[in-house]
Amino acid sequence: MRRPSPSRVLLHTVLVAASLAMVAPFLWQIVTSLKSLSEATTVPPTLLPEGRWENYGRVFDLLPFGTQFRNTVIVALARTAGQVLLCSLAAYAFARLRFPGRGVLFGVLLSVLMVPPQLFIIPQYQIMSSLGWLNSLQALIVPGLFSAFGVFLLRQFFLGLPLELEEAARLDGAGPVRIYWSIMLPLARPGLLALAVLVLIWSWNDLFWPLVVNSDPDTMPLSAGLASLQGQFQTDYPVLMAGSLLASLPVIAVFVFLQRQFIQGIAQTGIKG
Amino acid sequence: MRTFMRMGTALLAASLALTGCSGGDDGNGGDGKDGPVTLTYAVWDQNQKAAMQELATDFTRTHPEITIDVQLTPWEGYWTKLKAAATGGAAPDVFWMNGPNFQLYAANKVIAPNPEPADMSVYPKPLVDLYTYEGKNFGLPKDMDTVGVWYNKKLFDAKKVPYPKDGWTWADFQATAARLTDAKAGVYGTAASLSSFQEYQYDTIAQAGGFVITPDGKRSGYDDPKTIAGLKFWTDLIAGKQSPDLKTMTDTVPLQLFEAGKIAMYWGGSWNAAEFTGNGYTKGKVDVAPLPRGEKQATVIHGVANVVGAKTEHPQQAWEFVKYLGSKPAAEILGKKGPIPAYAGTQSDWVKAHPDMNLQVFLDAVDYAVPYPVSKNTAAWNEAELTHLTKAWSGQQPVEQAATELAATMNDLLAKE
Amino acid sequence: MTRRRDRITEALWAYAFIAPLALGLGVFYLWPVLQTAYFSFTEWGAFGGHEWSGTDNYVRLAHDPEVGRALVNTISYTVLGLVSIPLAVVFAALLNRRMRGVGVYRTLFFLPVVTMPVAVAMVWRWLYNGDYGLINYVLSLAGIDGPNWIADPTTALFALVVIGVWSSLGYNLIIFLAGMQAIPAEYYEAAALDGAGPVRQFLRITVPLLSPTAFFVSVVSVIGSLQLFDLVFVIAGSGASARANPAYPRLQTVVALFYDRAFVTNDRGYAAAVVMVLLLIIAALTLTQFRLQRRWVHYA
Repeated sequence: MRRPSPSRVLLHTVLVAASLAMVAPFLWQIVTSLKSLSEATTVPPTLLPEGRWENYGRVFDLLPFGTQFRNTVIVALARTAGQVLLCSLAAYAFARLRFPGRGVLFGVLLSVLMVPPQLFIIPQYQIMSSLGWLNSLQALIVPGLFSAFGVFLLRQFFLGLPLELEEAARLDGAGPVRIYWSIMLPLARPGLLALAVLVLIWSWNDLFWPLVVNSDPDTMPLSAGLASLQGQFQTDYPVLMAGSLLASLPVIAVFVFLQRQFIQGIAQTGIKG
Repeated sequence: MRTFMRMGTALLAASLALTGCSGGDDGNGGDGKDGPVTLTYAVWDQNQKAAMQELATDFTRTHPEITIDVQLTPWEGYWTKLKAAATGGAAPDVFWMNGPNFQLYAANKVIAPNPEPADMSVYPKPLVDLYTYEGKNFGLPKDMDTVGVWYNKKLFDAKKVPYPKDGWTWADFQATAARLTDAKAGVYGTAASLSSFQEYQYDTIAQAGGFVITPDGKRSGYDDPKTIAGLKFWTDLIAGKQSPDLKTMTDTVPLQLFEAGKIAMYWGGSWNAAEFTGNGYTKGKVDVAPLPRGEKQATVIHGVANVVGAKTEHPQQAWEFVKYLGSKPAAEILGKKGPIPAYAGTQSDWVKAHPDMNLQVFLDAVDYAVPYPVSKNTAAWNEAELTHLTKAWSGQQPVEQAATELAATMNDLLAKE
Repeated sequence: MTRRRDRITEALWAYAFIAPLALGLGVFYLWPVLQTAYFSFTEWGAFGGHEWSGTDNYVRLAHDPEVGRALVNTISYTVLGLVSIPLAVVFAALLNRRMRGVGVYRTLFFLPVVTMPVAVAMVWRWLYNGDYGLINYVLSLAGIDGPNWIADPTTALFALVVIGVWSSLGYNLIIFLAGMQAIPAEYYEAAALDGAGPVRQFLRITVPLLSPTAFFVSVVSVIGSLQLFDLVFVIAGSGASARANPAYPRLQTVVALFYDRAFVTNDRGYAAAVVMVLLLIIAALTLTQFRLQRRWVHYA
């Protein structure tokens, strides 16, 4: 064992302190999920819970957990795949292809990003209603396939990529589709992954829209199902926290797996920290 | 640029086509009695969902051709969703309505008046009036709630203060609050909450002989000296430190303080009964007394009603279901699990469900109950109430000034209705 | 001649690449915005139905003290919240290395993103609580009597900014880590050969080459901050009860005002006007950022 250098100790001190601040609410969620309702709302708060594991069982009594979990997964995957594909196509065009109206179109695209999302609730509800899509999974998926955010994010990634490879391919006679598919996409992999993670989280946590557009518990994702556990005068917070914790575990697992991808570039070249 | 314009037009055309082809509903159409029908029934309280489901099943037993689809949307999203649905003419067939929203929905013809007269004498009159618009009854009352003073017996015993009694007055309440306040222990006699007028301001305003709004809904009562006296009741308690200040109550809501033994007397609704029996701290420690008497005795009464959507394709079946929900057997089912049913003579099960507390208080209060103040756009002046009275509650403005300014704002808003 | 044909082909391909996305954005997002723009010139009923009212809503808006207040709050929040960007860059750089436990750190930094908003609200409200909060407890050990952080008009906005920075760090970290991956490793190798230490490498290579990503985060963060809404409810409580907080005049944001008018007080035409003004402000600020990007953003 080598002795750690002082700078390394400092680094870890900073990171540990920051992680504590970041993780505190999550730990609080775990603690609360094991409390009784009265314990959860009392002041000053108690730090050690009674250990009510049955709260976790209650989640399954109150919600069609399996169905809603499946809905969450389907919606999240569909939205993620759709956005990564549609946004990367458009982003590539905006970053690398020349066409009349590029600036204006991009401006219009950005303007969508500028609109507070609360504005879309009622108009989108009406579109869903006239399509006969209320209480369906496509109501949750389709509007979420299109994102100005994703185009902007990926455009920035494409713009940052070196031009040489692309030009070489062009000289070899490759068309836009080939360049997009076999050169740009692989190079922009970190950006695509980042977008995928972000869309996945947003879709997983999206709550208000599913509540408004779907009423049937069997077409709701878990986020909305959990939200409907809140009563008008009384909410069983510990059960809510337990359910939310169960619901977030898969996202955490996906992140733990994907975050390794963010280190590959460096790992290959072997630069030491 | 030209390309952009072309593209824009194409998009517009596409979206118009989409919104234009309003999806042909696959309902049965008309109000034909033949064939099976499914009615949607929208509710907002998770804690009552089971009871609603039970009522729905019971109804289908006697009306096998009608099935009920109970749709729960939590409170936070309920009204937004209802508005979105009603804007497109697709409100649920039957749904819960509350007082503040009622006139808005009735005036805009989102809900339908009752197609035939029903016996309204079985419900408390203020509730029937609450759901009457331009002389017509809309739907039937489902439940009711009144207000009482919940008190912590342990804190009373510790200070050797006698429990509140029927017929006590404002002066008694103030004296009791003062005796129970113990700054060193962080205990207050009561809490002058600002965020729910039903259990606080509206009650004391009525007790002081004031009013919030004229019966015709045209003028605010907040500049009436008696109304101001009803508000001053609370700000005096804060100034006298028998209630926590507004900042403290913002950080920790009064209910939470009461459930932690920091507040001796909590003005609350009948709906708190379930919470106080379930809570580990309050269980066995609290009981309830009637509200103290000011110039007169008064409590606000409110209740939810079941109403029929004006555009339902099955008005007849929907009305049948509402009639059932407003009936005695339905009230008896409701009273076993949920709030106090509105139907006269069906409330004893609710009282018996919590025998350790004097819940009869809430039923007796019906005799002197006053209606919940509403108008066509209640939400607009409800917001103004908070905006202005926050200044009085935080001590920024004298209560007279805040109330007078509120009255002016409210009158402007009422003129726009 | 062939070059001209190539140019046309390229443009056609570009439209084809954009078309599917543009169609969806147009129907589900752009169309509602255009409708709202129109309705901002009308008296718009709670359940649809509208009456042309010209510029009435905009005139009223210019005299509404709540609009001015909400704008000041929103812009103050946005400016203060910018601190989250350098913070995220620094932490991303610290976490963009081969080091034991780096995966654990990254996951911990990521957790706020998946923590349920209700839990987030409960924790922060407890931390900030004037009587029972952790912050004031720590201060009391030093003999300081801390304020009611979220109910006191002087501290409420800062309390809000801290939560905002905290909750956005995880997202920004993901984007910056990805951006750092796109930086070719050869640059670092060359710099290392020249004897540049980690700090120098960070300043000379990471910062300039990360600028397209940083530009993105900056634009998106400013837009997000100007649209601030949910966080206010997290600490002030939702709907009308937020107004019972004496610090609400310092917490009210433009979108919160929009929400109140559109969904609470049934004043939808006015709400549409409020949101249009906000849109103009956001558009102006975004355009400025795009103009300024030439000075600091390095594209390949």
